[in-house]
Amino acid sequence: MNRFAALSRTTMFGLMTGASLLAASAAMAEEITVWCWDPNFNGATMKEAAARYTAMHPDVTFNIVDFAKADMEQKLQAQLTSGTTEGLPDIVLVEDYGAQKYLQSFPGAFEPLTDKVDYSGFAPYKVELATLDGQTYSLPFDSGVTGLFYRTDILAEAGYKAEDLQDITWEQFIEIAKVVKEKTGHPMLGIDLNDAGAIRILLQSAGSWYFNADGTANLAGNPVFKASLETYAKLLQTPEIYKPVSGWADYTGGFTSGEVASVFTGVWMTGTIKAANMSGQWGVAPLPKLSGVEGATHASNLGGSSWYVLASSEEKATAVDFLAEVWGKDADFYQKILVDNGAVGSLLAARDGDAYKASDEYFGGQAVWQNFSDWLGAIPPVNYGLFTNEVDAAVAAQLPGLAAGGSVDDAIAAIDAQVQQQIQ
Amino acid sequence: MGKFRLGRSENVYAWLFLAPALTLLAIFMVYPILWSLWMSFQTGKGVNTQFGGLANIYRLTQDPVFLRALTNTLIFLIIQVPIMIVLAILAAVALNDPKLRGRAFFRTAIFLPCVTSLVAYSVLFKSMFATDGVVNDTLMWLHIISSPIPWLAQPFWAKCLIIIAITWRWTGYNMIFFLAALQNIDRSIYEAARIDGVPAWARFVYLTVPMLKPVILFTTVISTIGTLQLFDEVNNITASGGVGGAPADSTLTLSLYIYNLTFRFMPSLGYAATVSYVIVVLVALLTALQFFVARERK
Repeated sequence: MNRFAALSRTTMFGLMTGASLLAASAAMAEEITVWCWDPNFNGATMKEAAARYTAMHPDVTFNIVDFAKADMEQKLQAQLTSGTTEGLPDIVLVEDYGAQKYLQSFPGAFEPLTDKVDYSGFAPYKVELATLDGQTYSLPFDSGVTGLFYRTDILAEAGYKAEDLQDITWEQFIEIAKVVKEKTGHPMLGIDLNDAGAIRILLQSAGSWYFNADGTANLAGNPVFKASLETYAKLLQTPEIYKPVSGWADYTGGFTSGEVASVFTGVWMTGTIKAANMSGQWGVAPLPKLSGVEGATHASNLGGSSWYVLASSEEKATAVDFLAEVWGKDADFYQKILVDNGAVGSLLAARDGDAYKASDEYFGGQAVWQNFSDWLGAIPPVNYGLFTNEVDAAVAAQLPGLAAGGSVDDAIAAIDAQVQQQIQ
Repeated sequence: MGKFRLGRSENVYAWLFLAPALTLLAIFMVYPILWSLWMSFQTGKGVNTQFGGLANIYRLTQDPVFLRALTNTLIFLIIQVPIMIVLAILAAVALNDPKLRGRAFFRTAIFLPCVTSLVAYSVLFKSMFATDGVVNDTLMWLHIISSPIPWLAQPFWAKCLIIIAITWRWTGYNMIFFLAALQNIDRSIYEAARIDGVPAWARFVYLTVPMLKPVILFTTVISTIGTLQLFDEVNNITASGGVGGAPADSTLTLSLYIYNLTFRFMPSLGYAATVSYVIVVLVALLTALQFFVARERK
């Protein structure tokens, strides 16, 4: 935009007014590039937001690019590390686990939005995650409140009703899964041994995390971590109840193809589940609970992310205005993405809308959004720290051993030893 | 040398002609190498770095992931390089036989993998070796195995898969060097051996192999360097959810660890530079060792 302005000042000076008018209108047309990672979820919600903004500002267009999540994160980090800003988007989606890592590693790379957005309207924990030295950098997006999505028809065939899945422990869940496999032949879960996400869900459901508040590792001697690994090991050592999968497409393909009977994950999976066109065959139950752990709940969180504006963006002002106008205020927009994509936003005003009270036919008329909203309030808050990827790698390295019957204590010792070296 | 001295002006012209190449070399080779050496003494998060002295080297000695990556890399090296070199020699000798029909076809077929893109062939291998992929299906159909081999899911098989993949990719490349060398061996030596009644296997072991020694040394050195830098395959074939080195870091190599330290984990550029210097030192040591083993004994 600046280059264009300079051009029109120097070379076009003295030319016909028509020509400079053309140059001016060309400079007005702005394109906002957005990076995100799930065409069924955050990509779809961004498209909806973009459409709303373009309706108000026809000269602004959007280029929404979706990558595989890990690819996008590594591409972003490579770009930021290189120090060149060419090729970076204007807006980028960052998962909450990684927010502080980017903010602390690349000072000045992201635009603070503290003065531009009214953060009092957002869930405080989301604002906290993106705040560093008194500045807040994100437009808080979704919560990853978890639930157990399950196939009502398959569970019914095995003799289970919705009530049978309320307030159960993981041990009870495994017993149910065995019966489901025996009676229907369907595996209850798809499990990827390279993915430690389940451990994160279990940990946070009892208010614990990989790290203490001061950032030191909270692994060896953490009873919740031990209980989470023991519980997950029990699941892994019951191979008949799950289908081993590898990678995201394989994982989601398990239940969208109709083979796998349930998935416990963040609410953001709704978009993918709805894209499978199995209306009326799905239900949502609370997450099973860790047994014998103090503070264990049926509520947890997986993922969740927020939008960040790159400080290097040439269309920075427009990008910030777009986020503040649509994502920061439009409660009606949040109703739509909730129903269409299962996006439980963190704009508090949106929770009073009708969509949160409505029942959903896809889930057999269940008032799923009210459920998720209630569980959201019950999620034990934790501090994600800076090194989630490092601990995830250390945990994933032990999962095949646990599946083969290895000792949980040995696994914890190995994870702790590895993490102590990695988090410096 | 020394027959005539170059005049001062010739000297200047020579340097002028060399200057563009030397400048490029200095900017794109010497400067990055020195800069990465300086970086290897820095610690900190991302672009916030400070001088840390030998902190990164100490971290290296305490790091179980580095040890795992080093072990995996050496396992690939020790098992894969000899297999590949032997296969390459055998293929070259077979294709050098003038009586063999369709030599040009086989030569092209064996060399062809080398012209494929590393990522493209990795993606293809990943799908071929999936649990329900074409390789398992074929083996089951031939009744060689009764249940699918978990190529991508089990540490042992994942390592085997990587070895199979890089052997497929690079055998033809090495074979070309051996073919070229074989053309240079005087046929009369073999003729003399045949007249003396030396059997074929002995001609191979006592004539061909010793005469190929310089080329064996050369291919071993470049294969060693290549294997130490192994990255594309383990970041694509044995990747899960965009994260390479799966399962359970069993195919994590040093190069992949450097990548993770820089682009996936909390960016530790200094430590990543230190690990990359480990590769430099290993390449230097192994190359020196190979030259020592293959030296001419007088």
